[in-house]
Amino acid sequence: MVDLYFVGVDVGSLSTDVSIIDHSGKVLSEIVIPTGVNGSEAAEEAFDSALKLADLSREGITAITATGYGRASVTFATGKTTEISCHGVGAHQLFPRTGTVIDIGGQDSKVIQIDSRGRMLDFTMNDKCAAGTGRFLEVMANRLELDLDELSSPANIEGESAPISSTCTVFAESEVISLLAKNTPREEIVHGLQRSIVNRIWSMVTSIGIEGEVTLTGGVAHNRGLVTLLEEKLGLTLNIPENPQTVGALGGAHIARRAYQRSLEPATN
Amino acid sequence: MIIPDRSEYLKALAQSGQKIMGVLPALYPREILWAFDIHAAEIWDPPGELLHANAHLQTTICPIVKKSLEFILKEPDIINAGYLFPHTCDSLQNLGTQVKDLIGVSLPVYTFYNPKGSFNNTTTKYYQDILKNFQSTLEASYGPLDPEKLLAACVLSHNIDSHLLAIQLARMTDHLSLNNLEYFKLMRAQEYLLPTDYLSLLEQVDILDQPSETPRARLMVSGILPPTSEILEFLDELGVSIVADDLLAVSRRIPKFPMDVPVSPLDYLTDRFFILPSCSTRGGDLDERLHHLSKLMNASQAQGMLFNMVKFCEPELFDHRLLVKTLREKSIPVLTLETELESHISGQDKTRIEAFTELLFEMVSP
Repeated sequence: MVDLYFVGVDVGSLSTDVSIIDHSGKVLSEIVIPTGVNGSEAAEEAFDSALKLADLSREGITAITATGYGRASVTFATGKTTEISCHGVGAHQLFPRTGTVIDIGGQDSKVIQIDSRGRMLDFTMNDKCAAGTGRFLEVMANRLELDLDELSSPANIEGESAPISSTCTVFAESEVISLLAKNTPREEIVHGLQRSIVNRIWSMVTSIGIEGEVTLTGGVAHNRGLVTLLEEKLGLTLNIPENPQTVGALGGAHIARRAYQRSLEPATN
Repeated sequence: MIIPDRSEYLKALAQSGQKIMGVLPALYPREILWAFDIHAAEIWDPPGELLHANAHLQTTICPIVKKSLEFILKEPDIINAGYLFPHTCDSLQNLGTQVKDLIGVSLPVYTFYNPKGSFNNTTTKYYQDILKNFQSTLEASYGPLDPEKLLAACVLSHNIDSHLLAIQLARMTDHLSLNNLEYFKLMRAQEYLLPTDYLSLLEQVDILDQPSETPRARLMVSGILPPTSEILEFLDELGVSIVADDLLAVSRRIPKFPMDVPVSPLDYLTDRFFILPSCSTRGGDLDERLHHLSKLMNASQAQGMLFNMVKFCEPELFDHRLLVKTLREKSIPVLTLETELESHISGQDKTRIEAFTELLFEMVSP
């Protein structure tokens, strides 16, 4: 049998992620690089790195799905699908009993309901602002002079929480400045910021409801403090993928595989 | 079929000496204006930046009201017979007062307070009274109304409605070879074309004998205004057809079913008003609205509903939550977009629309 390889390229606002799978769905390589200012170049670079890691060449790839906000800039893709569908399919591949996916991306957050085959049933996205997104955390990390890892330190979980009432990133940053001026400990501010994102996600979850197991995707899933708070708020344990940032790309690769299989169907009839 | 550009058409009309009244959304007795030889140029979403209107209005006022005020403050040459403010919502009603009493435009300002609530003796009597009052108000400026001209205006209105009903039905059953953008341009041309010109345009619409190619997905849209041109084009690109609508600017102004040819103008205008589809701006019954939506969805075989919500639109937002809940309970996919009447489509909205169509495509895929 000829070897078949499928690729998902997820060009997000913060990172560009690539996943390569074979015909059986086995993951061969995964790459995450910063998107920077040129999504097209980032996609090329991430694709080449993933190919190298899997010891493959471009000519050997069967089909490629582009996804993410920069999906239109992936000129070498054979198809494109929104990240909403891709995260649903990716989460289903990793945790087949997933009924709800919470994706906290760099630019936006989504809650997606999927069926037992990973197909999207319904979804909701945050409003036209960065509240409840990875970008929100990045802005706050800058303001607090912390790196993103420090922002997720478990030491921050149990402590006091500073009140951050704004859901708007700009207003929340002003609140953080005021808190710093009052010498509020950074741990308390971090805890307050995490709680602010969780509350934002919670309102999205309640608007659509929870079905089945819940899988958290996107880079923010690395933030252990936020995950603990979200689990507490939802009253359940979240499925956390080993590589939460590449779930969209993985879903894209599986969508490319499905599309290829479908394209063969008329010939086999 | 060529649809004239709104601005150029109205400018040429004004230059020819035509009396033109600027009419705010949404329901008003256009036939009475026509009988006085006054052309109603509707002001829904005039383009342009908000520079002066914000000085008079709170930030939480809807963009339709703000953009209308911006337009009025510029005192455009094309409007020469005054402005008419129907009571569509409190914001528009208050805008009428503000423009008349506080801002003080040089042209006359008229108001028309539609009845709220369903058909009954009280609302009917009230409606007939305000029709007569409106007529008397105009007579004070333009002289006595010729009853024959009013009847002729009602017949013209009836003709337009008959064509629009046929076009709507053709749209629902794929018997119209117009894409989304062309369809809504045609339906909205009644906002500014002379009724005779609009009727000529409608007569040119080709209703196909056989259904055209079935779209990849079928969508119904609800709200005040259709989505922006960019969104309509994007849906066209994706192969999604808007097969039915519940828009205030479009189908909520067309009677639900054909009416008899007018004999008595007053009875015709009253009957016409009360057989319009249920609408949030008329305090309509929500169950009746849901029933109407469900009928339209069935007739058009729409697979999903797109709510195109104007930000801060109180009447619509009151109904929206329950409509979404009810549709979701029936497993009908729903997407809500919020618009501030921007001309461009945001990346997030593009993703929302694309993801929603992927959901609809999955419903029809084998």
